Amino acid sequence: MTFIAEGYNSFDTKKTPSGVIKYLPDPKSVLTLIQSGKLKEHILLVQGGTTTFLAPALSMGAIGVITMSGAPESHLGILSREFQMPCVMSAYLVGSDSRYVTGGDNEAHFTGLIKALDGKNARLHCEDRETGRVALFS
Amino acid sequence: MSTYKHRYEARDDGLRFQDLVYQGNFKGMPPVPDGILGDKIMRSRAKSKVLEKVSKEDVLRDQFTLDELNDLNNYLAWNIWDVLVMRATEGVSGMIPRQEYEILAFMQEFYRWPEVLQMTTDEIGAKGVMEIGASARREIGTKVNCVHDWCIGAVGFGMGRCGLLALEAIQPRDFVRESNTILKFMQRVLWGKRQDGYILNSQDRYRCQIHENDVIEKLGREIEHLEHGSEAHDAFVRFNAAAELLSFLDHYDCRLGLGDTGPYQLADGRIMIIRDLFTNEDVYDWSDVCEHEKVPHCYSLCLVIDPEKMGLDEIRVNDISTTFTRPKNYIEYIVGGAVFVREKWDTPMGEVYQVKVADLDKRLEGIQQATLKLYSKFSRMPRRTLIENGMYVYYIDMILPHLRLAGTYEKACKDYEFWEIDQRVANYYYDIVKRGFAQATVPQKIFSGEGYLPFPDNVSLNRSKYFWK
Repeated sequence: MTFIAEGYNSFDTKKTPSGVIKYLPDPKSVLTLIQSGKLKEHILLVQGGTTTFLAPALSMGAIGVITMSGAPESHLGILSREFQMPCVMSAYLVGSDSRYVTGGDNEAHFTGLIKALDGKNARLHCEDRETGRVALFS
Repeated sequence: MSTYKHRYEARDDGLRFQDLVYQGNFKGMPPVPDGILGDKIMRSRAKSKVLEKVSKEDVLRDQFTLDELNDLNNYLAWNIWDVLVMRATEGVSGMIPRQEYEILAFMQEFYRWPEVLQMTTDEIGAKGVMEIGASARREIGTKVNCVHDWCIGAVGFGMGRCGLLALEAIQPRDFVRESNTILKFMQRVLWGKRQDGYILNSQDRYRCQIHENDVIEKLGREIEHLEHGSEAHDAFVRFNAAAELLSFLDHYDCRLGLGDTGPYQLADGRIMIIRDLFTNEDVYDWSDVCEHEKVPHCYSLCLVIDPEKMGLDEIRVNDISTTFTRPKNYIEYIVGGAVFVREKWDTPMGEVYQVKVADLDKRLEGIQQATLKLYSKFSRMPRRTLIENGMYVYYIDMILPHLRLAGTYEKACKDYEFWEIDQRVANYYYDIVKRGFAQATVPQKIFSGEGYLPFPDNVSLNRSKYFWK
């Protein structure tokens, strides 16, 4: 199995959710996805590690999340554990040196991740204690 | 097999939960790690005894010495780093401008709290402030808890002073008297709550075992057995998560909605966490959606965890009332639970009632509806309103429970214009978005520990600030 991205694992679990990665840029896109009834078909890709942005998606049963910043101690990390929803945090592309920097200019890092992940079929692997991984499949 | 009890042996240094290390005001000295070892090192560097177990007489004394003030400043700076440095990587919310509202709140608190806390101390006396802390020993669903009590000193004094120093609005020698007022209030509440001489959980190997034995026994008798994989277990976990999410959302994505205590050792070898989830704070106008869905002020959950099945190596109930474990996933090892309801903040303990696990799904619907409505409401708010509301959550809520119990909240609103925003802070609104001040400068100062400059030697303990330029 080839992993395209990895990051902090918010909690260790044997669950391996899969779906089409969907980047959610704003609250409107979150509400639109929920209203479409297709929430559970997607792995959600978001920029921040906070809970408020994804609140209704978590509440309605999102199956897995990839964040581009944040850690298990962030609110989304805590809540993903409580919901037992696998979550890979501060993800970066395997083979790339680009990393999220707290307080830095992360625009290029985010753009690279979105381009590589959005719209792809993916499965999350979060059995490791520290590292969560993203695998693509066709 | 668990090893977590080793963490409570004097010679044990605990596990490391993160790779980062802390420097703070101790340049040229070895960096400090997180956890039990970090606490030991920080206390060994103190010049006074204020970080050791202190007596009631010490706490009743009105004035800290300069060494004590600086020791508290240094220790709180490390403690803030210890609990928040990893959380601080979470970046922008996409919904609520949290860094912006946090920084404004820190500064507003440092300016406005001292006179309100002094007025409260004058009204009820130092012992009365300690009794506010002690009230938490017999209650569940109370916001007199770790995170609120810690915030008085760590946020109002520590981060507030740090932010104003970074903005160059104040100098290290300013507001010594006001700093003493804030820190004394914090010390008295926390000492009254713990009653073991310490004030912070990090000083006690991350334990917050504050409830009296008879309270624990009474709650323990109501625990329902939960088998992993059963519908009851799933319902309990689902409810805990959904209520926690709403409590975060109602408090503008901040930790004030959550209050854990424990771990309490049960007779059968298992451990219990008592978790308060504040799902409806009626002081906020946006919380009307929770009211419409009949969501109570607080759901209190007892979570019983099997440490042996989990292979628990360390459990921390940190000073912002949050439980972290190694391994991380304790949810799978919940083997028992109970849920209680406190309808209003002042509902007497005798009227707190239990909801059986089988009935939780009926309650879950109200929580989910309130979450969706709150989200829709926030998504339509302009940025400035979100920042202002978030600032109120910090500035008001962090000392609201203490003022309520002291009976001084109304006086603070009427005579001290508690809900007004200081003109200086209102003006900072425009400054904090320049040159990355909110997004980069202040977080860097706060989370590296660099910004908590000590009070200078020989500064007068009465020093305030009367000159602005």
